[in-house]
Amino acid sequence: MTDAVLMPERVRRIDVSVPVFVLLALGLGVLVILPLFWLVWYSVHEDAGGFTLGNFVQLVTDDTMLRAYGIAIAMAAGVGVLSCLLATPLAWLVARTDLPGRRAIRALVTASFVTPPFLGAIAWELLAAPNSGIINVLYRTLFGLPRSDSLFNIYTFPGLVFVIGCFTYPFVFTLVANAFDRVPGDLEDASAILGGRAATTLWRVTLPLVLPSMLAGTLIAVLQALTMFGSPAILALPAGFHVITTKIWSLFQFPPQLGLAAAAAMPLLVITVLLLRGQKAILGRRGYTVLGGKSGAPRIVALGAWRWPAFAFALFVLCLTVIFPYLALLKTALVPNAGDALTPSTITLSHFHFVLFDFSATRLALYNTFVLGFLSATTVAVVAMIVAYIATRKLVRGAGILGMLATAPVAIPGIVLGVGLFLSYANPTFQLYGTIWILLIAFVTIELPAGYQQISSAFHGVHPELEEASRILGASRLKTLWLITSPMLRTSVVAAWCFVFVGTIRELSATILLTTANTKLVSVIIYDLNESGDMGAICVLGLILLVVSFLVVFAVNRMPVLGGGGSVSTTRG
Amino acid sequence: MTWKTTLAATTIAVALLSGGAAWAAAPAAYDITPDLIAAAKKDGTVVWYTATDLTVAEKLAAEFEAEYPGVKVQVERSGSERVFQRIGQEQMSGIHNADIIETSDAVNFIYFKQQGWLEPAVPKIVADEWPDDQKDPDGQFAAYRAHLSVMAYRTDLLKDVEPPKTWEDLLKPEYKGRMVKAHPGYSGTIMTATGVLSNLLGWEWFEKLGQQDVMQVQSSTEPPKKLAEGERAIQVDGNEYNIFRLQDQGVPVQIVYPPEGTPIAIGNAGILKDAPHPDAAKLYYAYLYSTKAQQLNSDFGGLRSFNPDVQEKEGRTPLSQIKLLESDPSELIKQVQTIKQKYEQYFGT
Amino acid sequence: MSFLELDGLVKAYGALTVVKGVDLAVDRGTLVCLLGPSGCGKTTTLRLIAGFANASGGEVRVGGEVVSSASRNVPPEDRNMSMIFQSYALWPHMTVFQNVAYGLKLRRLPATEIKERVGRILESTHLGPLAGRYPSELSGGQQQRVSLARALVVEPQILLLDEPLSNLDANLREEMRFEIRRLHDQFRYTTVYVTHDQSEAMTTADLIVVMNAGRIEQCGTPEDIYERPETEFVARFIGGTNILKGRSDGSDTVVCADGVVLRCGSGRVSPGGETAVSIRHHDIRIGTTPPAGDGSNQASGVVERQIYLGSHRDYLVKLSGGERVRAVAPVNVAIPVGQQVWLHFPPEHCRALTH
Repeated sequence: MTDAVLMPERVRRIDVSVPVFVLLALGLGVLVILPLFWLVWYSVHEDAGGFTLGNFVQLVTDDTMLRAYGIAIAMAAGVGVLSCLLATPLAWLVARTDLPGRRAIRALVTASFVTPPFLGAIAWELLAAPNSGIINVLYRTLFGLPRSDSLFNIYTFPGLVFVIGCFTYPFVFTLVANAFDRVPGDLEDASAILGGRAATTLWRVTLPLVLPSMLAGTLIAVLQALTMFGSPAILALPAGFHVITTKIWSLFQFPPQLGLAAAAAMPLLVITVLLLRGQKAILGRRGYTVLGGKSGAPRIVALGAWRWPAFAFALFVLCLTVIFPYLALLKTALVPNAGDALTPSTITLSHFHFVLFDFSATRLALYNTFVLGFLSATTVAVVAMIVAYIATRKLVRGAGILGMLATAPVAIPGIVLGVGLFLSYANPTFQLYGTIWILLIAFVTIELPAGYQQISSAFHGVHPELEEASRILGASRLKTLWLITSPMLRTSVVAAWCFVFVGTIRELSATILLTTANTKLVSVIIYDLNESGDMGAICVLGLILLVVSFLVVFAVNRMPVLGGGGSVSTTRG
Repeated sequence: MTWKTTLAATTIAVALLSGGAAWAAAPAAYDITPDLIAAAKKDGTVVWYTATDLTVAEKLAAEFEAEYPGVKVQVERSGSERVFQRIGQEQMSGIHNADIIETSDAVNFIYFKQQGWLEPAVPKIVADEWPDDQKDPDGQFAAYRAHLSVMAYRTDLLKDVEPPKTWEDLLKPEYKGRMVKAHPGYSGTIMTATGVLSNLLGWEWFEKLGQQDVMQVQSSTEPPKKLAEGERAIQVDGNEYNIFRLQDQGVPVQIVYPPEGTPIAIGNAGILKDAPHPDAAKLYYAYLYSTKAQQLNSDFGGLRSFNPDVQEKEGRTPLSQIKLLESDPSELIKQVQTIKQKYEQYFGT
Repeated sequence: MSFLELDGLVKAYGALTVVKGVDLAVDRGTLVCLLGPSGCGKTTTLRLIAGFANASGGEVRVGGEVVSSASRNVPPEDRNMSMIFQSYALWPHMTVFQNVAYGLKLRRLPATEIKERVGRILESTHLGPLAGRYPSELSGGQQQRVSLARALVVEPQILLLDEPLSNLDANLREEMRFEIRRLHDQFRYTTVYVTHDQSEAMTTADLIVVMNAGRIEQCGTPEDIYERPETEFVARFIGGTNILKGRSDGSDTVVCADGVVLRCGSGRVSPGGETAVSIRHHDIRIGTTPPAGDGSNQASGVVERQIYLGSHRDYLVKLSGGERVRAVAPVNVAIPVGQQVWLHFPPEHCRALTH
């Protein structure tokens, strides 16, 4: 036997996991609890500081407030149904049939997630405003109809539902398509062997198996719609109604009614928590989960004569949600006035010139947007990694609390968080309002749950023995995290990073309350430009935003340092 | 003290003020001197919170930068009420981003002055040329611009019916679904206009208008743009200067000055106390009132000016020939909440 | 003094105590097997030795130095041990070479030496040609070898194996048992091996430690454990046995419930108390006529089941008292189901167990 190769002497390390845990718990606690505390405090205090329930009394007696809630709930329900109707057939087609181009279709649907809802709403304004909308103009021209006729009117309640649905259905789609992927072929074979025809099998076996995912996705869509500010802010006002988010926003007008705004945010908070619990309950029902990996790859259904009609359907959905809106943005960016036709004589780059050279806010806003995107995405990724590590590896007693804190903000709608953060940090004690830090806090709080969930599920996928094997061979905990765990999490972390980055760029609801002249973001200047009707400039900015986001996401995924080059699988062979 | 309590206190204070308090004297007028220009260059930047139409504001800023190289203008444009909301949020948080503030809602400046947010400064041209009722006796602000909120229509889109001539005409069934209107909650101009029109025509008129399927937009710059897009044929209200600019571009739009009168909005400007760039602010502030800038506002922006040297473009109806509906800001400030409430009742938002 | 000592080792998770005072001494260079059913605390004991879990009481000492106690836990990376995991725990983003070289790199060895040592160990484990492959490109057996090579190359003071063969199929498992023993004979590391498979333990171990419910039941050589079990649990768990229960008057004779009298050649009886007698399946003689003798160490019954297994026949016999006994007989002893048979329990194979 040779002499053992001993480890080099090293300084006795201090175990930092407990201090890190305490710091993180405090930090996350402040992040989540402080805005909620001020929200509650303001809602039950009158101007002079005395306790009052007046704001809540006003909330339940004020007709305009009740109407705003009523409309918002109806809208959210409509969006849920529409998203489900659009997403489920499409998900089935791309996951389980020989639909032509199904990979590309799947990628495009997922990519449409990048479109900020407010930009989508503006695009649909251009497409389907009752008189000037491109679709309505074409319709009248084709059929020689008078001006009073229109095919679609986007400035209506159904119009708003439709536009929001276009931008929430990817949530349902992703969940349902993944569920279809997981339904094992032999379950369907079993039905076929018992004499079930393809349609019967689909209806009686496959659909019930993906039903939980459908419901869960629909609830997410409902939640998104309920708490969305961007699309309603652009479409609801011309249509002549408020939803709850725009109503809360209007309470910030002169003279601001902060107490009422805080009180009005409360039911939204409660509804959100209930919806999330519902979603968890549905997804948590074990009976539905398809278990066992080796039960056969999903079977692909041959569509036969239905191939092309099905393709037409998929294309139609994509046209409504991606292709038409982007084309409308592009067209409007290139003509002098939004209503003008695009011809060689009208084509102009004046809006590009204006946005890029004349408009003094552009550069600052682009800079702020991308700096904040990078900072938020990186902060969320790092915090989520540490929290996920401590929580999944149970390094400290009570580590589960961290996970809960990191997930909690999911229950706080953006506009509510905006109000809460404004109340918390706009007072002279903190002096954060007017800096990009308050926005960073807002974005990190909003995006942390999503980032944390992705990264923690990736951590669950890394067998603890892989880390233990490294430690017993002589690597410290941190070294193991660096050499073993993080390379295996790379793909998930990069995905989470991109998700947060895009989410930050899309954000308007909390942002709108928290930006100032020096901290303005592209989303806010688009909103301001919309207020003054500068469509051409909006479209140019929107396109820049989209192109740069795509480039960033693409570049991040390609960076060799981040594991973009190789195709190393993260699961054990 | 929270912002909210401050606001409440102010409302009372404003009421007291209109009762007549002792006014301090305005500071001595200043002119643009080489010293001022040099000091401004040291500041390097001036931040301008404005409610003027974005392209007009940017053009003015560009002209200024050409004339005084080394001083950048940062234009922060929003609707008057957004500007007001923003400055309120910032001041209460102790943030001093803005040098010069300008809105089209005269009420705002009563509030600013009461809060003590404004720095007295009187450019020479304002002291010499401006009428007394268009500048603050304490020299804290002066009328930078005026514009009318006008009724207008697309001549080519309204061939089938007689165009409206009076406010009452707008209630006719043939205009249903063809009108666009800006919102008093977002636009100072429209707040002013709604105030005077509700006094003139009564709220019943608004209630009936609310049943005409009117497209609701936010800023008073937006209805003319909806006319330009062809989205609607008639604007109930909106900036006159935007219509002028559309006419200059050849869009077939026609302004209506009803015999009952047309609301006028005075847009004040002032320098903020604790401005981050005080000298650049003084220079730019003086520039804003210069004949050159005011002429540009008139020619390119279609704005009305109180500078007697400004020449109005051919073909525009001179102010003297229009019956104006003027508003008293100190009266209006008391009605703001009622106006917003009634408005939401009749128009849904 | 032994090299590795466990002294009153206790591990509790809240109210649940999974290791209840384990004492064990392992000499340098021996291979000890912790054997027991799942949940007996053997893996926890191994993780306590490795330092992945903190002891609630007692001590682990290596070379006389305390590495684990309730108040002190040397982190795993400072123990100079290595471990082979049930899942192999090969890092998917590293090649075979990189996996094996990892521990040496952490020890900051010069690159040439790393290359040489890794080359040597890959040779010993027959992995030489596979050095550039990724784990996902290897078969289960090859992955197992990589895992072994990775643990051995750092020349640990103590080698730990946690159910290393449970993910392999039967043929490979048998082959790898011998492989592990061969490598141990070659390198002679002090080794603690956890398994629930007794034949694995038999093949590889110098010393077997049978654990049950958080305690050590018996510790000894494979022969000790098999031939001379101390407890009913050990007798049943190792090799399979029949247990007949009765009372003893203090002599070596046990009288069972249905009048069967068993004289025991070994073991201990508890005078006046209940005593169990263990007799292995293949030590029972089965016949159709009563065996000669004084009538002790025999019983009659009826064949309830008979299975032909090629090399032998496996009988289940129901005794007249109702108990069932399993016996193994040569293939030429063929007795049909339902027939009356006589069983003979040779005294030298009857072992008395006190508990």
